[in-house]
Amino acid sequence: MTEAADIHDWDEPTMDVALKIWRVDEDGERDLVTYELEAPEWACLLDVLDIIKDRHDGSLAYRKSCRMMICGSCGMRMDGRAILACKERMKPIVESGHVPTISPMGNLPIIKDLVVDMGPFWQKIRDVKPWLDPGYDEASDRERIVSQQQMSVIQKEALCIMCGCCVSECNAMESDPDFRGPAALAKGMRFVGDPRDQTAVERLNDLNDEHGIWDCTRCYFCNERCPKGVDPRDAIAKLGAESIKEGIDWDLGAKHANWFVTSAKTTGWLRETDLVPKTQGILGAVRETKFALTLLRHGKVPPPGPVHVAADVDESRDLYNLVKEQGLDGALGIVQGEAALAKIEHIEAERAHEEEEDSAE
Amino acid sequence: MKVAYYKGCLASLSAKELDTSTQALAPKLGIELDELESVTCCGAGDIHEAEPDYYLHLNARILAYSEQTGADTLMTICNVCTLNLRQANWQLKNDDELRTRVNTNLETVGAPPYHGNVEVKHLLWLIAEGDGYETLKQVAHKGLRGLKVAPFYGCQILRPSKILGFEDPDKPHSLEAIIDACGGEAIDYPAKIKCCGFPIIQAREETALGELIQPIEQATEAGADVMVTPCPLCHLSLDAWQSKLRERTGRDFQMPILHLSQLIGVAAGLEESELKFKRHVVPVQPALEKIEV
Repeated sequence: MTEAADIHDWDEPTMDVALKIWRVDEDGERDLVTYELEAPEWACLLDVLDIIKDRHDGSLAYRKSCRMMICGSCGMRMDGRAILACKERMKPIVESGHVPTISPMGNLPIIKDLVVDMGPFWQKIRDVKPWLDPGYDEASDRERIVSQQQMSVIQKEALCIMCGCCVSECNAMESDPDFRGPAALAKGMRFVGDPRDQTAVERLNDLNDEHGIWDCTRCYFCNERCPKGVDPRDAIAKLGAESIKEGIDWDLGAKHANWFVTSAKTTGWLRETDLVPKTQGILGAVRETKFALTLLRHGKVPPPGPVHVAADVDESRDLYNLVKEQGLDGALGIVQGEAALAKIEHIEAERAHEEEEDSAE
Repeated sequence: MKVAYYKGCLASLSAKELDTSTQALAPKLGIELDELESVTCCGAGDIHEAEPDYYLHLNARILAYSEQTGADTLMTICNVCTLNLRQANWQLKNDDELRTRVNTNLETVGAPPYHGNVEVKHLLWLIAEGDGYETLKQVAHKGLRGLKVAPFYGCQILRPSKILGFEDPDKPHSLEAIIDACGGEAIDYPAKIKCCGFPIIQAREETALGELIQPIEQATEAGADVMVTPCPLCHLSLDAWQSKLRERTGRDFQMPILHLSQLIGVAAGLEESELKFKRHVVPVQPALEKIEV
C-alpha cells in the first residue's frame, strides 16, 4: 500500500461514488471512463479525484492547489456546468443516484484530461493591465485614505479568483474567441472603479474596443457560474455605464444603449424605426435597406410616421431630469442595488428553512 | 386570476402578433388581463447599462402602476422585461432606504409610489405553476397532433437564476411540459438554453450570428418542425435574421418560429386574425399544414 493510500484509511462513514470522466490524451483522443470507488461522506469532487489518482489511476490529470475555493485552480465541468471541484459536495449527488460526467472547461484548449491551457485566459487578464496605476512614481509620506463607500464600487469584482468558470461558458466567446470575456472585463472594472487608480478614462477607452464591453451578449452564464459571487456581467454593465458617463459613447453598442434612454424619455416606448440609423448611422442604415424592406413587408419594422407615445410620458421625462440632477451616474447606479441582491440567497435559505420546519410540524 | 399586463415594447410594435395572441388566449386560461397604460419601456438591459439609476426608476414606475390595479401579479411576455422588472422589484422590496428615495422621486413627478406588493411573472410561469398544465389540456382541444416542437428558452428567463429562479436554469422543463400538454412532441437539443445573440445583433452582428446559428442548426438536425420561444427578442432574431444566416453561411433553414402564445393558440384553435402568422418572415403555414391545422 502506498503512503498516499494510507492517508485514505478512513474511520468515518463512507459512500460508494460513481462518476464518468472524459479522458483526453495529448493527441486529442477522447474516451469517457467510468470510475466506481469508496469515499468518505464528507468528500467533495476534488477529494474523489484525489482518491482516483492515488488508488485507481495515477495518469488522471487535473489541477488543484488550495482545496478551499481561493486559488481558482480546480475549475472543470460537472454535467456541462463549470464548477470548482473543491466546492461540489458529492454526498447529495450520490444519494440522488445520479452519475455525473466530469469534463474540462470550455472556451480554452484542452491539454490533457481535465487540464486546459490557461494561456489565452491569462493573456486577456494581462491585456487589461491588472495593476494599480496611482499616477505617481514615488509614494507620498502620508497615508492615502479611501472610504468604505468608495471601495464598495468594486467590492464584488475584487472577489475574483480567476478560476475561468465564467469564461468556460461565455456564449459570446464561443462565437468570437477574441472577446475579452467576463473575467478580464471584471478585472478591468476592478481597476476602473478603484478610487486610487488615475487611468480610468484611458482604461475605458481601451475596453471599448471591438472585442470589449459591447461584445458581451448578456447571456448571464458568467453570473450563473461564478463560484465567488463576482457577477461579471454586472461588472461589464458597470463598465458600460462608466464609459457613457465619461462620454465614451462612439461604439455601436453604446449608441444602441443611448437610443433606449432617448426613447424612454421622449416617447416612453422604444423608437424601433430609428434604432438602426441611430446605432449604425445613415451609411449603416443604407447598407441594411434590403433587409429593412423585408422586415417592413412583414410589419416587423413600424413604417415611418407618428411614433407610438406612452400615456403620461412627461413623468418619464421628468424622472430622467430628476435622477440626472441627483448624480448617481455610472457604476454607482448599479452599486446601489447590490446590497439588496446580495440578500437573495440568505432570504431564500431562510424561507426554505421555515418551509422545512413547517412541514416537520 | 386578474393580472396587471405589461406587454413591453416589441409586442406593441414589431411583434404585435404576440400581443394579439396573448390577449386572445389569456381568457381561455382563466387569466384576466388589466393592461397597463401609463408605462414605458423597461430599458431592455440597455438603460440598465447606459443610465442605471434611470433604469431603476422606470421599472419602479411600472411596478407602481401595476400595484395600482390591485392585482398582485404583473404578467410579462418577454424574457428581458421579466429580468429587468424582477431585478428592480427585488432591489426595491429589500432595501427600505433605496425604495424611499425612489418613491420620493416618483411622487415628485406625479407618479404613484411603490409599496412592494407585486410579483413579476412571465406568462410561461403562470401556465406552468399550479393547475396550469391541466387547464392547458382542456384549452388545447385541437391539439398539435404530434408536431415536433423545439423549445428555445432564451437567456433572461433562466439566468441569473437567483433573480429568476422559476426552474433549474440548466435543465428547464416548463416549455416541454406545455408542448406535451398541447399534444406536440418536444425536441431536445443542447442549445435550447443558450443565447440567440439578439442584444448585440446590431452592434456586433457577426458575433450574434455565430450564436444564433447554433439553436437553429441543432433544432433542424434534431428534426424539429417548428421552434417556440417565450421571448419576442429571441423570436425576432430567430425569425427575421435567418435570412442573414442564409447570406452568411449559404444555409437556408426555413425554420418557423412561434411565440409561446401562438403555439398554444394553434392547439386552442385561435383564428389567424389573432395568431397573425402573416407577420412572420419565415412562413409558418407549411409546418401547420403537415398537421392539417
